[in-house]
Amino acid sequence: MAALDGQGRLNRRSFVRLVGFATGAGVLAACSPSAPAAPTQSAAVPKPTTPPAAPAATTAPAGAATSAPAAAAAPTAAAAAPTKFTEAPQLADLVKQGKLPPVEQRLPANPLVVQPIEEVGQYGGTWRGAFTGVADFHAYGRNVYEAILRWPRDPHQPIQPGLAEKWEFSPDNKQLTLTLRKGLKWSDGEPFTTDDILFWWNDIALDKSLTPSPPSEWVINDEPMKVEALSPEQVRLTFPAPNGMALRMLAFHGNQWPLNFERFGFFAPAHYLKQFHPKYNSALTDYKTFNEKADDLDPGRPSMTSWRVTSWQPGDRAIVASRNPYYWKVDPAGNQLPYIDELRVELVEDSEALNLKAVNGEIDMQFRRIDIAKYTLLQESKQRGDYRVLRWPDANGSQVALFINQTFDDADLRPIFRDLRFRQALSYAINRKRINDVCFFSLGRETNAVLIPDSPYYVSETGDEYAQFDPDKAASLLQQAGLSKGPDGVWMMSNGQPLELTIETYQTKGAVFDATELVRKDWENIGLKAVLKSSQRESFWPRALDNQVGIAVWGTDRALEPFVDPIYLLPYDNRSWFAPKVGDWYSSRGAKGEKPEADMAKALDLFDQLKGSTDDAKQVDLGKQIVKLNADNLWTMGTVGAVPSITVVKNNFRNVPENAVTDWIYMSPGNLDPSQFFYKKA
Amino acid sequence: MLTYIVRRVLAMIPTLFLVSVLTFIIIQLPPGDFLTSLQANAADSGGSIDQAALDALRIQYGLDQPMWVQYVNWVKGFPSGDFGYSFEWKKPVSDLIGSRLGFTLVLSGLALLFTWLVAIPIGIYSATHQYSWQDLGLTTLGFLGLSIPDFMLGLIYLFVGVFVFNAPVGGLNSPDLESAPWSIPKVLDLANHLLWPTIILGAAGTAQLIRIMRGNLLETLNEQFVTTARAKGLPERTVVNKYAVRVAINPLISVMGMHLPNLISGATILGIVLSLPTTGPLFLHALINQDIYLAGTFLLMLSALLMLGNLFADVLLAWADPRIRYT
Repeated sequence: MAALDGQGRLNRRSFVRLVGFATGAGVLAACSPSAPAAPTQSAAVPKPTTPPAAPAATTAPAGAATSAPAAAAAPTAAAAAPTKFTEAPQLADLVKQGKLPPVEQRLPANPLVVQPIEEVGQYGGTWRGAFTGVADFHAYGRNVYEAILRWPRDPHQPIQPGLAEKWEFSPDNKQLTLTLRKGLKWSDGEPFTTDDILFWWNDIALDKSLTPSPPSEWVINDEPMKVEALSPEQVRLTFPAPNGMALRMLAFHGNQWPLNFERFGFFAPAHYLKQFHPKYNSALTDYKTFNEKADDLDPGRPSMTSWRVTSWQPGDRAIVASRNPYYWKVDPAGNQLPYIDELRVELVEDSEALNLKAVNGEIDMQFRRIDIAKYTLLQESKQRGDYRVLRWPDANGSQVALFINQTFDDADLRPIFRDLRFRQALSYAINRKRINDVCFFSLGRETNAVLIPDSPYYVSETGDEYAQFDPDKAASLLQQAGLSKGPDGVWMMSNGQPLELTIETYQTKGAVFDATELVRKDWENIGLKAVLKSSQRESFWPRALDNQVGIAVWGTDRALEPFVDPIYLLPYDNRSWFAPKVGDWYSSRGAKGEKPEADMAKALDLFDQLKGSTDDAKQVDLGKQIVKLNADNLWTMGTVGAVPSITVVKNNFRNVPENAVTDWIYMSPGNLDPSQFFYKKA
Repeated sequence: MLTYIVRRVLAMIPTLFLVSVLTFIIIQLPPGDFLTSLQANAADSGGSIDQAALDALRIQYGLDQPMWVQYVNWVKGFPSGDFGYSFEWKKPVSDLIGSRLGFTLVLSGLALLFTWLVAIPIGIYSATHQYSWQDLGLTTLGFLGLSIPDFMLGLIYLFVGVFVFNAPVGGLNSPDLESAPWSIPKVLDLANHLLWPTIILGAAGTAQLIRIMRGNLLETLNEQFVTTARAKGLPERTVVNKYAVRVAINPLISVMGMHLPNLISGATILGIVLSLPTTGPLFLHALINQDIYLAGTFLLMLSALLMLGNLFADVLLAWADPRIRYT
């Protein structure tokens, strides 16, 4: 039986069978009808990627939801865990020399079995990439994404086990118990236990000298969660109220990145770091040493990732990371992962040099910082460079989105910006097709949506709402909004002054800048005076945060799983540039900013409900309502979205899917399991 | 002479102090600080830093302090060789600058050498064969080097190198020799990579020197002592190279002092274009991101280099020209 039809969607028969089976399983697994207790997830591996083309309507469970047992990811052939293990030749040599324990002792009792995307791989090779500086940490960090739980490869599948093999909510949803795999070890061979989680929580997240306030995702109703270790493998998190975002946060922020800039993290090597922490080492007076030693790029620090940094000094030209002999994953044949020996991320001074390297075939697999404007050049040079070029849709609802600031301080513009008809008019005036053709090689999708169709929260009507090119309608809406056309054809405000709009962007060149210029032209074509002001990102950003920008331009990424950081969907904080002051109000819990009214208040209330619910279906429903509010009110005006990330992959670099959605929340390509990438020898 | 040098060096100190204060203020003029630009960068390329993390970093880096406190924090480490901490690279500034400054000096020094070694003989030749087609040809070549910006030449070199010769992009060493300890092959490899950047960097200065040399020499050749020397039967070569050039070269040494800033800034731009690990790209990023201690130290170092270079030029002039005496 072919489970998939020609376009990769489940055909009806297998869909019904799966749902029927899943429902049966769900009935068996559920403790009681009212409490949606999460089933214990075994080490069943995610189904190999199907192209995520299935529209949201046909998949039964919501995307990265978890507690519903209707997991489309549980194929009947749950991989029987392999019992015989093999390892990379270099490691086997070290074992022979007595420098490493044998592989069975290095792996945990229940290693995670990773399904290869194409085939079981071969050991060997160095993966060459490039980055533009330490601030570009993601260029390395996402390849070694390793968390308590994992994002799935396919966004329509639930969250996967990671370092934790199972998790369980209590009946009142206020407690979450995580069970780690037994026998996990850090890259230096020491055991990884709940001590490392406690150390992170008590001595890093709660230590005011390292973190002034505990990470907001673990603070509910102003109260930080309580963390207690029930055993070396089991830890219990207790929240004051049900925490509907907990599992997503464990997949997203539960990495071991405690002390680089982003301060994510859920665990840290206690056995190594305690000696540098002033609380445990009275000889130390400050945290400087601790910060250095706990930094994610410090070669001395043990890690749980597939490769660990072995070389990074000031003056180095590349981050070099080598295989972790204690890595806790295997492939179905029992080979300890990763296949690739070494990661080498080279430092370039400028992203142009990076693109030139890609054209020249010096990069083995990367999409980060590959410029879409170089697409044709990359295609032309692919024979020469021996690579293939993939187009992976980016989780970007709109590459160029405009935010009309409704809390703008200008007395004349503020009431106009707050008028929905005005915003609708601006949206109808934009010729999105032209932007797509001119700036993005027609590779994008003309839309007004903030999310992409692959997202479980996508509401299909929102894509086209107000997105048609209709200058006449725009003109009539402007009239309804109380503007009048002056004798020279320029629209005037009710006080007789001409209306002047300043569109601000931080791009000075490239596709986004050109697109913004086209928008400006479109608005001028219907008679609005519009000026494009571009400044450096570093000066644009603080001004935008400070409510000084009237019309801001930015991209709306995180369009797949927006609710871990929903700044484009609702006024979440001062980065929500359609109402930064309302964002301030929400993030400061009413201490500063402007109180929201009407639909904004409604959206924020829905979001609070979403955060407090652990029922996936309910979360998806609430999310969709928020998305609809955003679209109806045109808080975010989109133009062209889902522009592909251009991915350059050498021809001998395998187990890379043809199609994948790139998203920073999903830590792409981290969710594709880089440990199973390999170099195929001819 | 020694007292003169000592006096000059001592005079540098107040100037450097002034430079440090000015640069520190100017670097911090744009709105926001390192952390806001970090947040902006992160947001742009996928990533997000929340307020609590930013606040933690702000306190840790001392960015919440008033400017003069930050300045004092920076300056007080100077006597012990501590030039502050780079927020972006999370390493002490002295570690970062050391290797880069070394390469920059090598590149700029070689470019200077190249300029001189090329321009002076050409200038002499031009002067002695005035108005010949060789003279015109060489002068034209020099002007081409002057008028084509060095980043343009750099881009052409990059393009030809990659698409015609399949050379790897960027860096001063081939990837396999990158982390190897210094050895003869590594030095040769470095020389190989430095060859064209040196030429490009030196090209601009060549034209100027050629014209100056040519003009000076022509003037000198009309002097009476030259006529005397010829009359006394000295071979033409000796007259020109041993006597006339020595006099004509004096202004050039002064010009060298003025050349240094061009060289250093030219190396900056070229470093960015060709992705060379010199001070240029690091400096640019530090300025854009308001990595105050790194940028400030760079500027300070560059100013110090400049002043030392000028001093060196003056001393050289005194050595070359016995008529000059410093008191």
